[in-house]
Amino acid sequence: MKILAVCGFGVGSSMVLKMTLDKVVKDLDIDATVENTDIATAKATDADVYFTSQELSPDLQESTKNPVYAVKKYMDKGEVREKLEKYLSSRKEE
Amino acid sequence: MAKAIISEDEIQVVDHVPDWTAAVKMASVPLIRAKVITNEYVDHMIQSVKENGPYMVLTDYFALMHARPGEGVNKPGMSLLVTKQSVDLAGKPVKIFLIMAAVDNTSHLKSLQKVMSVFMDDHSYQTILAGNRQQIITLLKKSEVAK
Repeated sequence: MKILAVCGFGVGSSMVLKMTLDKVVKDLDIDATVENTDIATAKATDADVYFTSQELSPDLQESTKNPVYAVKKYMDKGEVREKLEKYLSSRKEE
Repeated sequence: MAKAIISEDEIQVVDHVPDWTAAVKMASVPLIRAKVITNEYVDHMIQSVKENGPYMVLTDYFALMHARPGEGVNKPGMSLLVTKQSVDLAGKPVKIFLIMAAVDNTSHLKSLQKVMSVFMDDHSYQTILAGNRQQIITLLKKSEVAK
C-alpha cells in the first residue's frame, strides 16, 4: 500500500505528517510505504490513499479517484491513526 | 564539529506579540541577520498562510512556518520563537513559531527530522511550551547535528 502525505510545498508539514504516518503504520503493523510531496506533484502521483490538510483536500480530491483524508493536526498520532483505520476498514468492505 | 540543531542566538522567548504576522517577523530576525533568509521569504511565509490556511499549525500551539524552498533562502536554517501568551493564527492558537528555511526539497530533511523528534516527545514539547529560554537552549543543545 502506498500512502502519500501532502502539503503546499512538500518540504515541511508533509514531512512531519509522513513521520506521524510512519509511526502509525508501525503501530498498526501494516505493510505500507509512506512518501511526502507538494500538492502539485501529488496530483500527478498515484497512491492508494492521500493524507493532507482540510484546506488542500478539496483540490486534491478533484484530481484523484482514490480516497483523500483531511488531517487537522499533522502531529496528532491519535487523529492520524483514526483516519488510517477508517481507510483500512473501507478497503475491507470493497 | 557538532552544532546545536537550533543555536542559542536563534532562540527567542517573549511574553506576547501583537499578532501572528509580527511573531513570524520577529522569529525570522536571527535568520535575516545571519543572511540565511531575506525579507522576501518572510513575506512568502505570511502569504502562504493567507492562501493555504493554517495547516502549518501541526498540533496545539505549534506552527512550523515555511514557504517554497529556495526563494529568498540563501542556505538551510531554523529559528524559534516562543510567546508565553498564545496568539491567533487564522483561527488556531499558537505559542511556538518554528521558522524553517530550505534551499531545496532534501538538504534540510535530516535537521528537520532531528528537531521534530524533539518536538514530538511530550516531555520536551511541554518544556518548549513553558517558555523558559535557558531550558529550551539546553534541550536543543542535546540534539546536535553534525556540521
